[in-house]
Amino acid sequence: MSHKIKTTGLNLFYGKTQALIDVNIKIKENHVTALIGPSGCGKSTFLRTLNRLNDLIDSVRIEGEVIIGDENIYDKGIDVVSLRKRVGMVFQKSNPFPKSIYENIAYGPRINGVSKRKSLDEIVEHSCKKAAIWDEVKDRLNDSAIGLSGGQQQRVCIARALAVEPDILLMDEPASALDPISTAKVEELIYELKKSLTIVIVTHNMQQAARVSDFCAFFLSGEIIEFEETARMFTRPTNEKTQNYISGKFG
Amino acid sequence: MYQYLQEELEQLKSKIIRMGSLVETQIGDSFRALFNGDIELSEAVIQKDDEIDKFEIRIDKHCQRIFALTQPVAYDLRLIMASLMINTDLERMGDLAVSVSLKTKYLQDYVDLLHEMKIDELAGKVHAIIRMSIDCFVNGDSDLAKEIIRVDREIDRLESEVFNMLTDRMKEDNEMIVPCSHILTLTRNIERLADHAANIAEDVIFLIDAKIMKHTKDSPKDSHKGESQS
Repeated sequence: MSHKIKTTGLNLFYGKTQALIDVNIKIKENHVTALIGPSGCGKSTFLRTLNRLNDLIDSVRIEGEVIIGDENIYDKGIDVVSLRKRVGMVFQKSNPFPKSIYENIAYGPRINGVSKRKSLDEIVEHSCKKAAIWDEVKDRLNDSAIGLSGGQQQRVCIARALAVEPDILLMDEPASALDPISTAKVEELIYELKKSLTIVIVTHNMQQAARVSDFCAFFLSGEIIEFEETARMFTRPTNEKTQNYISGKFG
Repeated sequence: MYQYLQEELEQLKSKIIRMGSLVETQIGDSFRALFNGDIELSEAVIQKDDEIDKFEIRIDKHCQRIFALTQPVAYDLRLIMASLMINTDLERMGDLAVSVSLKTKYLQDYVDLLHEMKIDELAGKVHAIIRMSIDCFVNGDSDLAKEIIRVDREIDRLESEVFNMLTDRMKEDNEMIVPCSHILTLTRNIERLADHAANIAEDVIFLIDAKIMKHTKDSPKDSHKGESQS
């Protein structure tokens, strides 16, 4: 079992405020790693360092290394577009383009040079099946994605992320705006997807972290307090702060 | 995470069945050693109890993990609760198989007396009820569970009969006080095995029918209330 992502001495500053403090973590391939912690603890900030999404914020300064595969993604010369193709992302609020379901999913492959209709058709079908949305949309692929329910929109966004065949999928509270049934579908999907992807998920819902993840990192004030197998963290946490957080005493 | 939970529950159920099989074999071996005066086999049973103790802890940890990670409800919740209770009963049955085996060396010269005092009949019924209890868990058969509770009462009556035969024999012949005392303790251990089988039956009724049998008039344990030993 190899490590897909490794961070060493990772520090991140928003201006003068340090948001991540010496984060060292090894994330295993084909496993789900959940990032938990109270609001403002740095978990989403950390997630966004993994596909350099923080680059878009002017005041951000980053120190340390983030190794994905065998390269530091913060090295000069790294192609950020290519990086984001390998490291897909799904956000809290589903954000389909105001286009058809088909065009949403075909968008990534198209800008990466796939132009043949047959190839695009195959990619759309394959991605929708992987995202467990195919049966619900196969007869309405030309309808607007905006007309779908929230849960369906989120799975279309997952299909869109999968269409460019990433190795890693980052999920920032992907089910927090969904109803329980849609949440269950997304959680089942995560369980299936980890067979072919490495998944890092930020969640405020500790029960969700317990259900979906293999490993769990507890963040507090920008630091990792505990990083452990989820089964162990939720039965025998080693740090008292972790115990207090997962049992709902604070946060 | 329905699929994950179902996989975990299947694994848990398999572990309980494996534990049941281990314990049932131990009990069968302890009886065979007793009635054949086979000290070597009785010692093997005593040695093997450690394996059952370790397996009990594995099942406890598995249940703990499922509780912590999946927040089970309804049948799934009852299955884990029933598994924890059955696990405890099976481990205690393993201990009782050891207790039976420890008696073998004291009774190896009194095998005929064991037959005369109907211990073989008692052991046969108890062994059968134990197999039934594991079957009723495997098949989720609450009707069989109710039958087990009925058979347990028959076993209690047979135990009383054996008790009377043993005390009569001790009164008749002072020389027989020591072996009969050993058989008296043995009888109690064998009867306790049936009680644990009945506990498992109650747990299966809880699992399948969502009914709590403990402390009801139908519970085998509470049917003893107010009765004397003999």
